Amino acid sequence: MKRINILVGALSIPLFVVAWEVIARSGIVNAVLFPPPSVVAVALVEWVRSGQFFLDLGASLYRVVTGFVVGAALGIALGVLTGQFALVSSLLSPLFHILRPIPPIAFVPIVILWFGLSETGKLFLVVWGVFFTVWLSTHIGVQKVDRGLIRAALMLGTPRRQMLQEIVLLGALPYIVVGLRTAISISFYTLVAAELAGAFAGIVYRIEIAQQNLQTGQVMGGLAALGLMSFIADRLFAAVAERTVWWR
Amino acid sequence: MARTIISVADLSIVFDTPQGQVIAVDRVTFSVAHGEFVCIVGPSGCGKSTVLNTIAGLETPYSGAVTVDGRPMQRPRPDVGMVFQQPHLFPWKSVRKNIAHGPRMLGKSRSEARAIADGLIEMIGLNRFADAYPHTLSGGMQQRVAIARALANQPRVLLMDEPFGALDAQTRSVMQDSLLELRERIDATVVFVTHDIDEAILLADRVLIMSAGPGRILRDLGVDLPRPRSNAIMLDPAYLALKKDCLDLIRSEGRRAFDQSSAG
Repeated sequence: MKRINILVGALSIPLFVVAWEVIARSGIVNAVLFPPPSVVAVALVEWVRSGQFFLDLGASLYRVVTGFVVGAALGIALGVLTGQFALVSSLLSPLFHILRPIPPIAFVPIVILWFGLSETGKLFLVVWGVFFTVWLSTHIGVQKVDRGLIRAALMLGTPRRQMLQEIVLLGALPYIVVGLRTAISISFYTLVAAELAGAFAGIVYRIEIAQQNLQTGQVMGGLAALGLMSFIADRLFAAVAERTVWWR
Repeated sequence: MARTIISVADLSIVFDTPQGQVIAVDRVTFSVAHGEFVCIVGPSGCGKSTVLNTIAGLETPYSGAVTVDGRPMQRPRPDVGMVFQQPHLFPWKSVRKNIAHGPRMLGKSRSEARAIADGLIEMIGLNRFADAYPHTLSGGMQQRVAIARALANQPRVLLMDEPFGALDAQTRSVMQDSLLELRERIDATVVFVTHDIDEAILLADRVLIMSAGPGRILRDLGVDLPRPRSNAIMLDPAYLALKKDCLDLIRSEGRRAFDQSSAG
């Protein structure tokens, strides 16, 4: 029973690719709009050979990584502040709760007005998307830290000013890690919006250009590249998270 | 009589609840001499844990006077250690680092703290688990670590709030015996809260029996049984006589409270 599951699992993607190839070549569908995987592969190889692929990849990675790091750092810092200090929470939480539900993509028009097509505007969108998720999970994590641990730490002579580093941050870490992981996929969503709004390089930008030239092979290659990037980022983070929350 | 180390005088605590004010502790007065082992027994909700938390400095404000070593308790102090019903071990620290936490916080060097921790690990017999994380230990082992962690700061007073209440009956009786053994080796005054009369008489030099609603002390009972003790003492006639006294008192108090509440 188990063996057959593994076997079928290993065949899942190859079967899909073969079916795609057969259908795309059968003439049932328009091969220009729905190219077979072999055509997509050729388009990808050409993209890499031209040297353009790594420029695009670099531009996109820079936006995602920088935006994620800045957004996550701000989110953790403010989440600790609002989670720990009721006064800060009273001041900021209502504002954050109003801004948070607005889909980050909806900010594209105003971001173009503010920043034009500059890198700053693209980073702003990614930071904005990442920040609220990380802020909320940190805020909740800090508030949910086991009171019993804090009482135990107090009884052992832990000074109040060391409580944050000794107990609160580590106690909230499992929540923060979940927030960061969600924020990774959000950073890719916002990257798409940022590059579609206008750019000069980037994976999504290249998808858009290829679409305008009816190079559907490259469009699909771009999608595959984007999916792979997001997948690798998630897996890398999962591996890091396992080591970060080592006591689980 | 040895000198007094814990003094609780006229302690009253009122809680605000949605149903109005509730007197949790009503003019409780007692003192504990240096080196004594005192158990506070009573039904749940009688305020025994609240009294203990006040001595710990975790429960403020209160009315009355609570002092340890002559100084009023307003906040936790390292000379007063506490073991809770749940072990509350730091899940991200190994057994050794959990025990070393207190000494580190009091400014001891890494190696000094480690030496203290290793000594205590030896004492609780968990040498093989020094580098293990809490979630890999059984409930009884976790509670041993919690006791060792509380002892690491060499507190003059050790407070224990139903520390064996969450353990199964067998583990509980093993833990009671090891606490009795431990007690022969450490120089601390212990106040131990429980709702189990057998546990109280087995462990204590004195048993304070509390009643609920409002919480007050019914009787201060000396336990004049020889030490060292173990669970075997539970069949001793002197032990059984003491237990009968306690049960009679609790039963008549229970009846009085019941009559009172049905009359009112």
